[in-house]
Amino acid sequence: MKDFAPTSDAPHPPTVSEARLLSVLDTAADGIIVIDEHARILIFNKACEKMFGVTTAEAVGQNVKLVMPTDYARQHDAYVGSYIRTGVKKIIGIGREVQGRHADGTVFPLELSVGEAATPDGRQFIGILRDLRPRKESEQRLADLQSELVHLARVSAIDEMGAAIAHELNQPLTALMLYLQAIRRAHSRGIDIVTVVGDILDKAANEAERAGHIIQRMRQFVEKRDPERHVRPLDPLIDEAIDLTLLGQRHRIRIDRQTGENLPPVSVDPVQIQQIVVNLVRNAIEAAAGVPDPAIEIRTRASDGSVRLEVQDNGPGIAPEALSKLFEAFASSKRRGMGLGLAISRTIAQNHGGDLLVDPGGNGRGACFTLVLPAASMPDEVG
Amino acid sequence: MRVHVVEDDAGVSDSLALILRNIGHTVVSHRDAESLFKGPLPTAPDAVIVDLSLPGIPGAQLVRWLLNLAAPPRVVVITGQSQGFIDHQLRGLVPDGVMRKPLDVDAIARVLPPL
Ligand SMILES: Nc1ncnc2c1ncn2[C@@H]1O[C@H](COP(=O)(O)OP(=O)(O)OP(=O)(O)O)[C@@H](O)[C@H]1O
Ligand SMILES: [Mg+2]
Repeated sequence: MKDFAPTSDAPHPPTVSEARLLSVLDTAADGIIVIDEHARILIFNKACEKMFGVTTAEAVGQNVKLVMPTDYARQHDAYVGSYIRTGVKKIIGIGREVQGRHADGTVFPLELSVGEAATPDGRQFIGILRDLRPRKESEQRLADLQSELVHLARVSAIDEMGAAIAHELNQPLTALMLYLQAIRRAHSRGIDIVTVVGDILDKAANEAERAGHIIQRMRQFVEKRDPERHVRPLDPLIDEAIDLTLLGQRHRIRIDRQTGENLPPVSVDPVQIQQIVVNLVRNAIEAAAGVPDPAIEIRTRASDGSVRLEVQDNGPGIAPEALSKLFEAFASSKRRGMGLGLAISRTIAQNHGGDLLVDPGGNGRGACFTLVLPAASMPDEVG
Repeated sequence: MRVHVVEDDAGVSDSLALILRNIGHTVVSHRDAESLFKGPLPTAPDAVIVDLSLPGIPGAQLVRWLLNLAAPPRVVVITGQSQGFIDHQLRGLVPDGVMRKPLDVDAIARVLPPL
């Protein structure tokens, strides 16, 4: 025990140079705690007082567990003991995120880096602490904003397509009305329709169902939901999204759809992925609208560890000067465009661990956008 | 009266054929303008119902072509699009009727009177 200076329970009054050191520590913006080998607090600066709601006078001399949540506190003695015995560093010199506890019981995230000093009084550990809540909050706010924006962009896409979707609803409603009126007329004239009425009613029911589907699909797309992840094959999602986009188009356009063989599934938020497809296909349709025979190719294929979706149009391509800002929000060349489609699509792709790439085309070639998504590991390999 | 229906939506086309037969017409259905051109040309006193939003040759172009025939048939436009779109598409064209979807039998009977 001769290495260890005896530690008195009541801290001795600070010497002059200690006092100077303390005043310096008190100006630090970060919390600083110095403990001895027994985890007893020797120094507790002003920033710590605020961070933990404990005064220096209360803290000094106490075990540092004072500012830790209970479950951490339980392990802390073991850590210190094991380090002193084995020298295996779990935290010293590394710095990591831990949790602190305020006197009012609030547990909060801290960044902690620990240094070690050998002093005549034995080993001491110096912890520098930074409250992570402000950073966490702004990260959370950013995430919230982003998901809000993603949702808004979907709503705005639907809004623009609204008039055209009304048209699409008119189709089944027309058919439904005419089927029912045909039966009504035959009936009121006493015409024998027994043989065909079942058939006509079935068709009418189908049309009503079709109208329902259109509404349902819009609703799915527009409603706000928390982001999800599902392991799904990509192709059916894409096909559905293409249908949804075409609903919104006045002019029919030739779409050449090629599906890759043996595509691995992807782990995605289906609605968000469909949002990308809607954006890309709308852009392609808008780009190709000015050429004599507008056509779009939509291909999927597997390529080492990822699944790719390519949307190629035969429009004019993307001007070199537009290319650098292409994926920025509010970069639009369209009268009614918000310029959000590509910005949001790339954000979504990257949130999925993938990316959105562009081959700008030009000189007679249209643009080609590629959505890359990592292939999902097979469900039984997970965990 | 023989009525050609040029409409790519299967449900609309089928129900329209049913109700037209119901009010006494003979119906020939086409999915697009191209398939109408493959058969014998409609002439007066036939009627042609044309959906404005067709795949391939646009509906308005078919309307223009029909109205320019030597003995033009009656041409009736059907559409679910906005008035602005209709005006824009039909610039200068005057078909015998324009019906907006959703359609009903009374509106149809008004432009193509039952026999
Ligand atoms: N396939 C394409 N061919 C040529 N230019 C394109 C193509 N896709 C996008 N662009 C260009 O990129 C711009 C940005 O596209 P983005 O989808 O982000 O916004 P937008 O289509 O203008 O508006 P929004 O999608 O918000 O309605 C477009 O205005 C257009 O100039
Ligand atoms: Mg767009």
